[in-house]
Amino acid sequence: MSNDLHGLLAPYALDALDADERATFEAHLDQCETCQAELPGLVETLSRVGEAESATPPPALRASVLAAVSTTTQQRPVVSLDSRRRLRRSLPQLVAAAAVVAAMVGGGFAVIEHDNVSDMRADQERVTAIISAADATTTSGNVSTGGTLRVISSKSHSAAVVSGSSLKELPGDKVYQLWTMHHGIPKDAGLLGTKDGMVYVPKLGDAVAVAVTVEPQGGSKEPTGEPVAVTDLAT
Amino acid sequence: MSEQTLASVTSIGDLEAPPAPDAGALLQRTALGDEAAFAALYDTLSPSVFGMAKRVIRNPARAEEVTQEVFLQVWQTAPRFDPSKGSAKSWVLTLAHRRAVDAVRHDQSATNRDLAYDWSPGIDHDEVVETVTVRLEHEQVKKCLSGLTELQREAITLAYYQGYTYAEVAQALDANPATVKTRMRDGLIRLRDCLGVES
Ligand SMILES: [Zn+2]
Repeated sequence: MSNDLHGLLAPYALDALDADERATFEAHLDQCETCQAELPGLVETLSRVGEAESATPPPALRASVLAAVSTTTQQRPVVSLDSRRRLRRSLPQLVAAAAVVAAMVGGGFAVIEHDNVSDMRADQERVTAIISAADATTTSGNVSTGGTLRVISSKSHSAAVVSGSSLKELPGDKVYQLWTMHHGIPKDAGLLGTKDGMVYVPKLGDAVAVAVTVEPQGGSKEPTGEPVAVTDLAT
Repeated sequence: MSEQTLASVTSIGDLEAPPAPDAGALLQRTALGDEAAFAALYDTLSPSVFGMAKRVIRNPARAEEVTQEVFLQVWQTAPRFDPSKGSAKSWVLTLAHRRAVDAVRHDQSATNRDLAYDWSPGIDHDEVVETVTVRLEHEQVKKCLSGLTELQREAITLAYYQGYTYAEVAQALDANPATVKTRMRDGLIRLRDCLGVES
């Protein structure tokens, strides 16, 4: 019986099963390490076959897809043991892009350089906790010099993950610095780095918004320039 | 916020944009709700998705619908993408092929599908092959398919390009379904090795 099910791997990869067999095989696949190990190579092979048919879609389709996406919510990550492993695997690149992650040390904020793997892992766990929190809310805004600032915050954690993407790369002596805004008063929330980066904000307190300024390398105690982005936190 | 302005805010406008990240990095950023990354992901993968869907469905308008559905699904499910199960590109192409096949099966019943259709890859599709890279890829796939046995090739192409189930393939080729399953597997492994895909 189980040998018969292994035999459905190739038809499954080709989408050559009817709906019932597909469901049967997927249940088998969940349990079968042999099939799990072989499937990615077949899938990759067939994606090469598909790619070989490339044809540019009409430009209007792009606008239509992007418009649809801007009003569509995303599924939450699945927080099973497996997906925690998955997030742990996928987050290092994002975190590494930031190179620095703000963390609470003693009474104030400090910027920690992560050459220590266990520190890195601890931050990923905290980031994962925010992203996957039941009350996680995402807000976003444009960065005036280019790119997007996105804030995923959780009220229950009173914490947020802030990421800048498609940001203009700064010269080496400048850095994007993040601030939490408390009724008009900015508080240092860490450095995003010289281009795309992510910051974990462990204590939001009464913050109502976050802002980004461009500061000299190492950051400033108070903002020295106009913000390039201000994004309200979800209320 | 301070009243001062900082010269560097305006001067960074002169810097060039960093090189485009790969599909995997774009999908990770898409998973965090980054619409700009998603737009770049669309630009990278939409020709593959649309071209493949058009080949399978053979109706450009329907292929556009499927392409839109696929990218909407990519956006919605990006947080659940599992990089341990394959590349971002193959994940998207897999979603796309599944939807294209479902569309074909929905639109056409098995009995009115044109069994006489010339399924050999590329022969009447070369005009849509646009760039040098795609043309090379197209030629390589064609070459590798021609290296399969006839039954392997027919089983794979009827399933992949026409959305046949293995049972339908067996009927169309007057072959034993068990044999068809085996030939699909043998053929895919040979194709994988010919294309230099890691097993
Ligand atoms: Zn198996």
